[in-house]
Amino acid sequence: MSKGISPPQLIKEKGSLHPINNMKDSIMNLLISFGFEIIDGPEIETEEFNFDMLNIKKSHPARQMHDTFYVENKSYVLRTHTSPVQIRGMLKNKPPLAFISGGKVYRKDDDSTHLPMFHQIEGIYVDENVNFANLKDLIYKILFSLFGNDVELRFRPSYFPFTEPSAEVDILSKDGKWLEVLGCGIVNPIVLDNCKINSSKFSGLAFGLGIERIAMLKHGVNDIRDFYKSNLDFLNQFK
Amino acid sequence: MKVSAKQLIDRINKTLTLEDLSKSLIQLGHEHELKDGVFDMEITPNRGDCLSVNGLLRDLNVFYDIELSQDTYHGEIKKLSIDFENLAQNSCSQITFLKLEIDKIPDNYIQSLDNYFSDLGINKINFFTDVSNFLSYETGQPTHCYDAEKINGKLVLEEIENNESFETLLDKKIFLSNKNTVFKINDSIINLAGIMGGKSTACSKDTKTVIVECAYFKPEAIIGKSVKYDINSEAAHKFERGVDPLCQENVLRRFIKIVGEHSNITDMSMISFSYENFSAIKIPFNVEQLNKIIGINISREKCFDYLTKLGFIIKDDYIEVPSYRSDINNQNGIAEEIARVIGYDNIKKSEITIPKNKSTTYRETENKLRYFLIDNGFYEVVNSPFVKAASDNAISIDNPLDSNRKHLRLNIVDSLVDNLIYNENRQKDSIKLFEISDIYRFENGLSKKRMISIVASGRLGLNYEDFSKKINLEYLTKLMKEIMPNRTFNIKNFPRDSLDTKSKSEIITLEFDIESASEDIVNVKTTAKPPREFNKYNTISEYPSSFKDISFLVGDSSKMEKLQSILLNYKSEIVKQIFIFDYYYNEKSDNMKIGFRFIFQSNSQTLTSEMIDAVYEDIINKSLNIGGISIPGL
Repeated sequence: MSKGISPPQLIKEKGSLHPINNMKDSIMNLLISFGFEIIDGPEIETEEFNFDMLNIKKSHPARQMHDTFYVENKSYVLRTHTSPVQIRGMLKNKPPLAFISGGKVYRKDDDSTHLPMFHQIEGIYVDENVNFANLKDLIYKILFSLFGNDVELRFRPSYFPFTEPSAEVDILSKDGKWLEVLGCGIVNPIVLDNCKINSSKFSGLAFGLGIERIAMLKHGVNDIRDFYKSNLDFLNQFK
Repeated sequence: MKVSAKQLIDRINKTLTLEDLSKSLIQLGHEHELKDGVFDMEITPNRGDCLSVNGLLRDLNVFYDIELSQDTYHGEIKKLSIDFENLAQNSCSQITFLKLEIDKIPDNYIQSLDNYFSDLGINKINFFTDVSNFLSYETGQPTHCYDAEKINGKLVLEEIENNESFETLLDKKIFLSNKNTVFKINDSIINLAGIMGGKSTACSKDTKTVIVECAYFKPEAIIGKSVKYDINSEAAHKFERGVDPLCQENVLRRFIKIVGEHSNITDMSMISFSYENFSAIKIPFNVEQLNKIIGINISREKCFDYLTKLGFIIKDDYIEVPSYRSDINNQNGIAEEIARVIGYDNIKKSEITIPKNKSTTYRETENKLRYFLIDNGFYEVVNSPFVKAASDNAISIDNPLDSNRKHLRLNIVDSLVDNLIYNENRQKDSIKLFEISDIYRFENGLSKKRMISIVASGRLGLNYEDFSKKINLEYLTKLMKEIMPNRTFNIKNFPRDSLDTKSKSEIITLEFDIESASEDIVNVKTTAKPPREFNKYNTISEYPSSFKDISFLVGDSSKMEKLQSILLNYKSEIVKQIFIFDYYYNEKSDNMKIGFRFIFQSNSQTLTSEMIDAVYEDIINKSLNIGGISIPGL
């Protein structure tokens, strides 16, 4: 080849991970670095694991047919959260234990902010003398890692049947609005007892977050449905 | 629940700004939005006791001096003679009836009642119903008003299981099915208990004699009914979340007081029925345990003060939970009360150390495959599992969102083919997708497989080496052999016959159980990595795209580099993508032919040829200005 001709650079376009899976992997890796171990569980669950063991009573609104998908003549439910995986983990292991689980969950919603299928990550840590002040420390570490050390947090009392005290955590957005990002609390002793863990000796903390919610905030996506259209113009922005 | 800020502030003995009040409510766990002096409260489902002005004030009492007791009628009330039978005592454990007769229906309401309607923008209905609605707002206890003249038989509360129709007082005809608790007269339903009264016995603007029913319906008896029958019922919402089982008589005495402030009461009588004894929950007053749960060091005196102000009674080292706090039954519940009052944000964090976990890897082999595919231009997608088609072993949803989502999918390929067509319809001509998902079926019980599916079609890639090559069976077979050399794949050509598509490109598909294949995955060097930064995303356009190709003849390398640098970095609002689709070096004439494709798309409109031509000309001018470059045919 004369004149030292070199061909143009050959750009072979790479694909990308799905932004929700990528966010899930990223948060899971962060939690592994804190000492958590990953466990998996089924997406099709019994009412016992999805509700009863978690102290969600028969009269709780979440158990109604308008909120939960029941399958095969009510023999199972599509899990409404990843918490039943924690129950399975606690039944199989003795404290101290620190588990995280992540994956798809299902609720009977369908609009621009809610989908019938979305993703959660939940974590639980059970040991002697685990308290609410420890929980706050962990949540600060998680949210500082995700949103930077200068993010302002707010803890609000909330309600989850499986934790007490329960909290929801907000971050302060640049335009001065508080945005809810995470739910957490001290594991309700009833749940520990259900899992044959001595609640007078051990206590636990638990937290859960919606991956879409975090991804929407991090990437500036306004409509949750965009994640699931499989539009290549959307997906190739997350390389 | 909407609450007028003024109605809260008026009862607090302190000058308070709306901002102060809002902060206090948030600290106590009562999230809200504040607009035009009205709090739109989001009360958590466990705090049914806070679905009222009085309930919120009971909580705020821990911070402020508040007069909680209210004017009620204290006089003697004669016993009401009513023919009533409760056959649904499991659903209704307390019920009180009050009969009132007034001489005249008031023309106007006193200020405090009138403010309720004006502050919240609520329409008045008739006098007794208006008082009932106000009382529900003020005390949290729903009451129901019957026109006494229309109650002409034995009143029976019972649980029915047969299908019957019923017309609500808002003229809505509903068909009851399965179990329902109803009030009946002469075997006709007059009230869907705890949810909404019926038209046949409703009060009107002329009603002067009323029978007010005030009951404790258990949440289990009410839950889900208002949604099922599409009835917007404030009463149902309150009963579902739990009202105070011991407040009925007091609420009706308040009813009398308010009515008496508007009219002369010419007759009144009341009767209560109780079918269950309420015994208060008692929890040991154990400050050490409370400190242990929260991770603080609060004194016994402070705990005592906080709990007493919240309505708890502490005696003999036990905390007696008030009847309206059905959410508290253990030490953790009390700890939450203390933590709320301190303020979650005021509790100092304490260093947590979790023992290191044993395993730090997760789905290692699956990730090898994912990164390999991404390296080769594949995009990972996630699809909803809900599908219309019912096939053998497919799991069926008892309560689907709609008939198109009645089952769970048994394969991923079909979803990916849908994704492919979606992108082809958006002028994409090189599409490579994959998805990994658990697939469930009923086959001798519930079974699960973790599957990967790959679908590809069109050009091999958008670069000058791959642009003219088409994705086919051979391509995917060769690719998969790189990462799983010892495995035979069932790679298929998906027929386009049944698809609504113009493209003729082959659709190549592959789906397999990733867990059973994991041992076959070998280490292949990949360069794809998760993004280090989380990009801010740009809204995708739904307007059509179009393209223009420009081929240049270039004499020497320096011009070539300059041309690439200018064109590949060309910026325009309507240029979406630029790549080199063709390159050829002609040794004989010692020059290079290079082809660029420009893809045009706007975020706000369908582009006209004039708009595209303007940018096209600019691109050509900038290229030709380099010198030593020509465009054959121009």
